Amino acid sequence: MTPITRLALFLALMSSISFGGIPPVLPDIRHFVVDTNGWLTDQDFANFFALAQTIPGPNMILMMTLIGWKVSGLVGAVAAAGATAVPPCTMYFVGYRLWDRCRDKPWQRVARASLAPLTFGLIVAGGTVMAQTVDKSWGAVAVTAAAATLLLATRVNPLWLLGAAGALGAFGLV
Amino acid sequence: VTIELSEEASAPLNPASLSVLFIEFFKVSLLGFGGGIALAHRAAVERRRWLSEAEFADALTLCQFMPGPNVVGIAVCIGAKTRGAAGAMAAFIGFAMIPGAIGFGLALLYLSRTGIPLVQNILSGLSAAAAGLMLATGLRLLKPHIRDPRVVAFAGLAFAGLAIARFPLLLVLAVLTPLSIATAVIARGRCP
Repeated sequence: MTPITRLALFLALMSSISFGGIPPVLPDIRHFVVDTNGWLTDQDFANFFALAQTIPGPNMILMMTLIGWKVSGLVGAVAAAGATAVPPCTMYFVGYRLWDRCRDKPWQRVARASLAPLTFGLIVAGGTVMAQTVDKSWGAVAVTAAAATLLLATRVNPLWLLGAAGALGAFGLV
Repeated sequence: VTIELSEEASAPLNPASLSVLFIEFFKVSLLGFGGGIALAHRAAVERRRWLSEAEFADALTLCQFMPGPNVVGIAVCIGAKTRGAAGAMAAFIGFAMIPGAIGFGLALLYLSRTGIPLVQNILSGLSAAAAGLMLATGLRLLKPHIRDPRVVAFAGLAFAGLAIARFPLLLVLAVLTPLSIATAVIARGRCP
């Protein structure tokens, strides 16, 4: 098998079992591309991760695209992006169709009543963990707190909040 | 007490067009900076009124409990809900494909130079706000159920397990999901 095929099959497997998003399977991916195959160095892997965080768009797909690019250029990039995005998106589509069609089934009422509270908690936790990672100054903590408070308390468009925070950052205040 | 999280919104919802689905998710993707859920909620529930608050929470729940990049899942689900397979495709192309190609180009450009301090500063402002937006979106989804102690307790436990104790997600879900299902069944007052 060519490296592209092996990478694509591995990423398709990883994205199909990545409950909670791609980050939980990152250690496995690192092991495969750095230790097992030696396609990337540890430094490449860390750089791609950091870079993907700072570029707009779906960042984990971008990170896998960069790994594919490193393995075999543009073809590798496209193959890696497809392998990461297509299997889960197919599952989302089929899963949602079934879920939506069975809206009023008793089993789904129980599933919804049990899973929705966990979802709410996981999202707040996700924001908190992200804040702990990116907030490196008290200014940044204040921006996170202000954005959260304003979104909850007012009907302000979140884009204004992002814009204001970007401007504060530009002036070196974050 | 019967817990019903699927009550329909009182006002009628608007139909979606494929091009608007594409544009909205293109914007959510490029402007989200990790706060994509907040922007998707704003666009789909508040501004375009494609889904009710409950339907949005419903799609989000499904995505959280399925593998893959969850925010892309939201785009696919909202597209599927409003315009079927074509809608899911339009939202996916707008959310993932075009921004992915742009991001890839930017990344290659960036890798060929060293980081620019001004860009780094703007990005730290954006990511700090995006974290706050995500936090607030979770709290806003919780707000309608704030008087339901079971919902608040399990949201709190999931939060504490992940953000405070820093347990792996799979462990948190493996422990809390069966407990949550059990209490939901008991709260409904009958056998499964």
